[in-house]
Amino acid sequence: MAKKNEITRRQFLNYTLMGTGGFMAAGMLMPMVRFAIDPILKTEAASDMVDIDLRVEDITTEPIMKKFKVNQVDGWHESEVEQAAFVYKNDDGEIVALSPVCKHLGCTVDWGTNPAYPDEFYCPCHAGRYYKDGVQVPGTAPLAPLDVYEMEIRDGKVFLGKTLPHPKA
Amino acid sequence: MKWLSKEIDVFLSAKQYIDTILLTLVPISFHENMKETVSMGEFSSVLTAEIERQLHGRTLVIPPFAYLKSESQDEKLKKLGQWTGELRKNGFRHIFMFTSDSQWKAIEELLDGTLIWIPAIPLEHMDEKFRREILDEQTKQVLQIVTNQWQSGS
Repeated sequence: MAKKNEITRRQFLNYTLMGTGGFMAAGMLMPMVRFAIDPILKTEAASDMVDIDLRVEDITTEPIMKKFKVNQVDGWHESEVEQAAFVYKNDDGEIVALSPVCKHLGCTVDWGTNPAYPDEFYCPCHAGRYYKDGVQVPGTAPLAPLDVYEMEIRDGKVFLGKTLPHPKA
Repeated sequence: MKWLSKEIDVFLSAKQYIDTILLTLVPISFHENMKETVSMGEFSSVLTAEIERQLHGRTLVIPPFAYLKSESQDEKLKKLGQWTGELRKNGFRHIFMFTSDSQWKAIEELLDGTLIWIPAIPLEHMDEKFRREILDEQTKQVLQIVTNQWQSGS
């Protein structure tokens, strides 16, 4: 009979087998788990501002529509999405970049296309109107001002990031 | 809006604002002109998607009306008539049909809706920038047709 603190040959073998088995299982599972949660582990790219190919000196007080491509990552699926912005200088000389997506139901607004309102953004879908600063005209379809883009100027070029709610919203 | 469950949720909650259907007519054929047939469907689908993007809030794109090129005109007309009938019954006031297949052009006046026939441009060989320009130009013109009809009809 074995003494109290001694382990039998059978127990010893059991422990060693369980130990090695455990390591092997962990070795197999770890990479799988890592793969599964991969997008969470990735740190967000340091800079997701996009060069929209527009120089500061080319910006006037007249809003111009500028289209650009953004990499959109949705879990594993990465795709290029086209976005657009209206860029202009306001009365204080500040550069403004507005999103052209109507806050009513998401149509694309255009600048001055309605002959009755040449100095407003106009949405063709439900006749929504916005003043030049992006605030909606009261009484028209939209209930919120146009979104504004996060913006940075690097070496005289305009870089845009995410859209944020309008400061006057 | 697109035919996706997420967007249909918005559609259901804002139904009174969405009165326009965008429908692509896509031919299917496996014969010698197969490639041409494919590019017809491709071009009109790309264009429809672009129009949808611009007019997202008032239009609904439904799955394309696909038909065999070998089908007779009468058969196609009958089937498409069933589609448009169903759409009218559900309160859609404007139906725009996009196609590159010239067969529809010949029977345009028999359709219940506006046929927008645009000859297919082979997009696959174009470089990105040129392709963009061409599509923008086409889109602009089609947008004009759609918004004009809205203005005159509402």
